[in-house]
Amino acid sequence: MKTKKLSVGKVVLWVILIIVAVIQIFPLIWLLDFSLASSNEMFTSGLLIIPEKIQWGNYVKAFVDGHFLQYLKNSVLINGLAVIFVILISIMAAYACHRMHWKLSTTVKTILLLGMMIPIHATLLPNYKIYNMLGLTDTIWALLIPYVAFSLPQAMFLMTSFLDSIPIELEEAAVMDGCGIYRIVFQIVTPMLKPSIATVSIMTFLNNWNEFMMASTYLSSPKWKTLPFSVLEFTGQYSSNYAVQFAVMALTAAPAVIVYVILNKHITKGVAMGAVKG
Amino acid sequence: MKKKALSAMLAAAMAATSVLGSVAVVNAEEEVTLKLFSNLPDRKNGQGLVEQMIIDEYMAENPNVKIEVEALDEEAYKTKFKAYAMDGMPDVVSIWGQPAFLDEVLEAGVLAELNEADYADYAFVEGSLEGFKKDDKLYGLPRNTDIAVIYYNQKMFEDNGWEIPATYDDLLTLAGTIRESDIIPMAMDGGDGWPMAVYLSDLVNKINGSTKDLFAEAIANGDFTADPFKQATDLMRQSVEAGLFQDGYDSQDYGTAMNLFTNGQAAMFYMGSWEASMALNEDIPEEIRTNIRVFTMPVVDGGQGGANDIAAWNGGGYAVSATSEVQEEAVKFLNYMYQPDKLSKYGWENGVGLSAQDQTAYMTGEETELQKQIVEIATGATSLSGTPVNDCGPSAFKTCIESEIQNVTNGTSTVDDFLATIGKACQ
Repeated sequence: MKTKKLSVGKVVLWVILIIVAVIQIFPLIWLLDFSLASSNEMFTSGLLIIPEKIQWGNYVKAFVDGHFLQYLKNSVLINGLAVIFVILISIMAAYACHRMHWKLSTTVKTILLLGMMIPIHATLLPNYKIYNMLGLTDTIWALLIPYVAFSLPQAMFLMTSFLDSIPIELEEAAVMDGCGIYRIVFQIVTPMLKPSIATVSIMTFLNNWNEFMMASTYLSSPKWKTLPFSVLEFTGQYSSNYAVQFAVMALTAAPAVIVYVILNKHITKGVAMGAVKG
Repeated sequence: MKKKALSAMLAAAMAATSVLGSVAVVNAEEEVTLKLFSNLPDRKNGQGLVEQMIIDEYMAENPNVKIEVEALDEEAYKTKFKAYAMDGMPDVVSIWGQPAFLDEVLEAGVLAELNEADYADYAFVEGSLEGFKKDDKLYGLPRNTDIAVIYYNQKMFEDNGWEIPATYDDLLTLAGTIRESDIIPMAMDGGDGWPMAVYLSDLVNKINGSTKDLFAEAIANGDFTADPFKQATDLMRQSVEAGLFQDGYDSQDYGTAMNLFTNGQAAMFYMGSWEASMALNEDIPEEIRTNIRVFTMPVVDGGQGGANDIAAWNGGGYAVSATSEVQEEAVKFLNYMYQPDKLSKYGWENGVGLSAQDQTAYMTGEETELQKQIVEIATGATSLSGTPVNDCGPSAFKTCIESEIQNVTNGTSTVDDFLATIGKACQ
């Protein structure tokens, strides 16, 4: 029988990796654990609770009283659209500002990137006023526009840096073969941007998934409310139903975790592929 | 040119979809839609449930009226309130009858004036409307009467032979005795800041005998060097040194503090009378829930405030928007809510605390001991302190005092520095 030799270095590496993994996963386990306890068990001194009786009722309440399905549908739709818009616009804008030569290309790029420096809270009330004048409050646009706008600078930044690593000769060859500008962008460049598209998708999705401040200001009827509102349904005037809130948060976190797991694989793949190509 | 035309078309299309999306308010057949903006997001429990019950009843009695509720919790509520103040308020809104909130709102002129004479028969507790007035004009109605009290575990006190302290010095001595039994003397929500500001106001009230003029003057001049402030802050610092509050009180929030008490780890709990519903809360072990009793802040030696000069105020309430297109209906609904057998009665039955109206008519005799005690405190009071100090000034002052009070009580800053800093925040 062949035994693999375990070197000291490998053991240390494994121990460190396991510790990191536990630290990363612990909050999720903690969340699940607390979501199955009763509100009163929550304030014991231990790190995790062993519930006397597993409270599945928390999840039932979260689903029914928290309007979970309706808010989930809104969240998925709004975040999905935001991701699509952000990717589409950032690829085109990055290409236009970085690869195409025109007079104001750097100025436009700088202005777009300046958006990174504007704090969301500073824009809250002015934007409300503008949306109200345009009649956009309480519509899907009231969330889509700011979500896309605030995610765009970062996306643009990533896309332009990634464009640098794509050899311009590819595009030159495409032009010689008679390729038009849109075909170059969408058929030649975009497929090579896959890893950064995955990164931008994850960032946009996760940032906006939990966003509440803008949603609570720009929306008033339940029609387009997103998942963070679900937690609110269990917030009392002075104290809250914490157990059900944990259940809601566990349900809210699930889709985000799933999206992360799916796209994370693509990032690794993309990066690895890029490395071989050199 | 083409591009411009395209972008204009896109903008138009977006605007069109959104206009179709938002619904117009009134049409010819007197169908009325009232928009209610509430700070009670939980519609299934407590005050939120009471509010929803009344709304449902009103809609059943007036089939042509539809009431749409939008509810956010306090912080989000206040942010959105500002947004609404710029551009059209919902018809009925929750407000706080405290200068920190109301002054700015009334200055903006977004609330409709109410006719005070209409409410002569509504049995409002004397003085409860004061916080909602400006220049003698009434702009809102109070929902609750809040009293700052010390809840205690009667059984624990009896078993250990502890007695309810008569003076503040007794309380500090008692704290030492309780500590010896490895029990936390008093659970305190110090993480939030406001309960400690209420505690401070409570002490000032016991020292000075009243707070209204003292607070108003100190805030107007930005000067908190008056003796009662100094003495009260000193007492709070001494209380922490004597171990009255739990360790880490300054970072623990409402739920944590309350649970220390309801789990039997703490002997006392400083909070408002709204928590009287603890006695009915089945999540709390029966042995504890049936033994919760209450007393008010003990008198301070040499202070002018007596045992019956209590820290109490009328906090939250409702108002009608000045720009509402259906103002008449909105006022009608407001008055409906305040009919003595609505907010007051339902609130009492659901144990959400005292209303700002006379509730004695709804006493069934089956109230919990705790509820009865609180009513006794309220009816036996010789004076009510009015709004706690943190809610008496501008919002910058509120933020400042609620964070600074943690530093002064835990010894990070000195009493004089604290008083100077909060004075500066008023200017």
